[in-house]
Formats: sequence, C-alpha cells, structure tokens
Amino acid sequence: MVVFATTTLIDILLIGLSGTLICLAVHFIPVGGAPAAMAQATGIGTGTVELAAGSGLVGLITSSYMYAYEPKAAMLLVMAAGAMGAAIMLASTMLAGGLIYAYGVAVPFASAQVKKDPITGERQDNYVSKGTQGQGIPTICFVSGVVGAALGGAGGGLIYFVLMQYYTPLIAGSAAAVAGVFTMGVFYVNSVIPSYGVGGTIEGVHDPKFRRVVPKDVFTSVIVSMLCGVVAILIAGGMV
Amino acid sequence: MSDIKEISPENLAAFGIIGGLLGIYLSPLFPPYTSIFGALGAICAVIWGAEAVRRVAKYGLGTGVPSIGQIAMGMGIIAAMFGLAIMKSVTKDPRAIYAGPVLALVTASIIGFVIGWFAQNVIKMKIPVMVRCMTEIAASGALIIIGYSAAVAGNYDFMGSLILKVFDNGVILAVFWVGAMAMLHPFNACLGPDEKQKRLLYLAASTGAITMAVMGIAAIMTLGPMGVVTLVIGVILWLIFYKKFWDEVYKDAASVVGTGLIPKTEA
Repeated sequence: MVVFATTTLIDILLIGLSGTLICLAVHFIPVGGAPAAMAQATGIGTGTVELAAGSGLVGLITSSYMYAYEPKAAMLLVMAAGAMGAAIMLASTMLAGGLIYAYGVAVPFASAQVKKDPITGERQDNYVSKGTQGQGIPTICFVSGVVGAALGGAGGGLIYFVLMQYYTPLIAGSAAAVAGVFTMGVFYVNSVIPSYGVGGTIEGVHDPKFRRVVPKDVFTSVIVSMLCGVVAILIAGGMV
Repeated sequence: MSDIKEISPENLAAFGIIGGLLGIYLSPLFPPYTSIFGALGAICAVIWGAEAVRRVAKYGLGTGVPSIGQIAMGMGIIAAMFGLAIMKSVTKDPRAIYAGPVLALVTASIIGFVIGWFAQNVIKMKIPVMVRCMTEIAASGALIIIGYSAAVAGNYDFMGSLILKVFDNGVILAVFWVGAMAMLHPFNACLGPDEKQKRLLYLAASTGAITMAVMGIAAIMTLGPMGVVTLVIGVILWLIFYKKFWDEVYKDAASVVGTGLIPKTEA
C-alpha cells in the first residue's frame, strides 16, 4: 500500500488543481454548438467536450513528447509544452473556422453578449443579425479561446507529469501509456462536467454566464479530480 | 408511449451486470479460445448502458448525447484500471485477481454517484434520474472497457496482460472510443418523439457487435487466429441485430413508400 505521506497529499492536490485547470479552460473556449455551426451564435460550431478534449489531448501529446525526450524536465516546462500544443491546436481551429465564417458563410464577426469588444473597442451590437446570438469568432473570443486552451493543455501536462513520477519506477516502459490513458479519462470527466454547467454554449471570459457558472463548476471539478487523484495513486500500489 | 410495454431499468441493469461479469469471468477460462466471452459480456453492458443513456438524455442535457458517452468512458476507464490493479497492493494471494471486475464495477458506481450527485445538487441540472443514471452509466462503462479489453488480451489481469496487450500498443484508445460510440450512438440515432425502447435495444446490440468485430481485428494482433473468430462472430451478430433494428424501423414507420425520382419539370 502506498503510504500517504505529505508528498502524496501534495500530488493529490496537484491532480485536483490540474482537473480544475481543465474545467476552467472549458469556460474560456468560445463554444457555439449547433447554432454556431449555422452561424447563428458566436463561437466555434461544435460541442464543448469536442473542443476542450480535442485541444487538451493535443496538449497531452506535446507535453508527453517533452517528457519523453527530457525526463528530467521541470514540471513547469512540461506544463508549458502542453499549453503550447493545446493553444496552437485551438488557434488553428478558430483560424480555419473564422476563414469559413468570413469568406464562406459571409457573416460579420460580432458578439451578442457585449456592446463593445473589450480588446478592440469596436461596436458589436450593430453587426449582430436579427434573430441570432451573434456570429463568427470576434477578437475577444479568439483571445479567450487561446488562453483557455493553454490552461487546459497545462492541466493535462500536469496530471501526466504527476502520474509519470509514480508509474515510471514501477512499470518503466509502459508508464507513458498507462499515465496517458488515465489522463485522458480525467480529461473527459473534467470537460463534460463544466459543459453541463454552461448548458452547451458559452462565448468566453466576457460572457455574463462565465461569472455565474465558474464557481460551482470549479468546486465540483476540484472534488471529482481529487477523487481521481486518490484513485490514480492507489493504482500505483497495485503495480509492485 | 405508455401503452407500449418496456423492459424495466432494473431488469436491464441485472442483464448488464450479470451478463457483463459472466462474460468477463469466463474470458480467461481456456485461453485464448474463451476470450470471445469478454466481448459478449461487453455487449450486454453496452445494451444496459445505452438504455441508461436513453433515460437520462431524454431530459435534454444541453450538450448533446455524445458528451454523456464520453464521460461514461472517462469514469469507466479510471474505475477499471483501479479495480483491476488495486487487489495486488492489498494481498499477495494470486486468487485476489478474481475480485478485480467486481471492484471496478463498485468503484465506477461510486465515481458515477459522486459526479451525478454534484451534477444534480451543485451544478443544478434538474434532471430527476441524474444520480441513478450517472451511476449506471459509469458502471456499464467500466464493464465495457474490461470486457472488450479482455477480448483483446485474453484475460483481465491488469499487470500481467492488459498493460502489455492493450495499453502499450494503443488498442485501449480503440476500446475507449469505439466503446463510447457503441454506448452513445443508439440514443443519438433514435432520439425524437417516436423513440421506442425495443428499437434502441436492437441498435445497441448491433453497435456492441460491430465494436466486437473491431476488437476482433485488434485481437488478431495480440491473440492470433482467435481474433478472426471474434471478428467473424462480431460481424454475424452485427448483421443479425442490424436486420432486427431495420425491421423495427420499418414496423414503427407510418408507411414505407417508394416515391420515385424527383420529376424533371415542375407540373
């Protein structure tokens, strides 16, 4: 049995923190769902889970790549690698989506939640078509999305890093696969929970919904991720 | 809807748990010939899980049905790994391995219950069956993961064969994703005002069977010729249940008519 020393507790807290980062990330990403796919709402036209998990898993790949070639890398470096991968993934998704919205669907990018874009200061309400919730991916949504993806990738990198510390001494060659799959499980749990909280669509950090749902979603995520952390560390006990 | 007799959730849960566990426990009996029972057990769990998805997703989750399949597999995989691995740290008795699948089922139920409770009482989703269905979905997710993994690895020994034959070569990703699809697709495809349980159950059996065929392909890599048997039986089961689903669709449709091609000129 693994002894619950102080370091173990810190690791459980770190897994709780990384789950929280992933949960928080979902709120930053401009998810439009089905309405956005028809250019009737602001954001990317697919579900929360697909975007958060898609960008997060790319972050997991980049952070594990960093870890594989630099096993002595600091925790922050692994997290940064994950953040970079996830942010690049989501930014390219939004860029490609934006190109289609602008030149394919031909809609002006506008947010229905704020009167002025907090970054560029441009008026938004004039450009929102009647009967829609905004269209495309305005600057604030793009920036919010990149920040969110970076948080998610960093969270994924953090779980992976913590689990590798436990599994590598026990099952050297297979540790990456087991830690990666476990991280994926935690990732899905933590990206679905907030997607229930936001109810399918959110524009990003400027959306009034953001302030309303973040506290309860984060609280849920901390508890559930720490439960997962305890489970992950107990699994290591069975690997001897 | 109410005049149609439906199979009760309790009976389906019993079918999923007993069928799933039986299949998993039979899988290592005569290796590698009995590995196929793992996949058959997983199909029972798929049917149970798909019906649980139906009951909860009927209320409208706001995020689409796929999200619940993904969280099911997320919870299931965590619980499956824990359940199968943990007994080794408690006792050195080699017979302790038999407790693995049951422990995974219990762990998944606990994780599912906690998440369901939070979704209901903290996130306030206002879905009365949330806690119960989340528990059932997580538990069936764990059985699906162990069942299909056992079909590929030949048994459910986590350290001895699952890590080598399922995790290291990446088959677990197929188990995860195709298993999630098997569970979430039936309701995602059938939902609507005229959705019927019988039609959904046949579709669930057919998605479970096609997943078994995919696992058969993976098993060719790990178990050799036995994989072909899993593949062929998976395809046969898929054809049978898909035909049954097809018949149900025809029976439930108001009428099936040939409309011909669209006329070239407007009348």
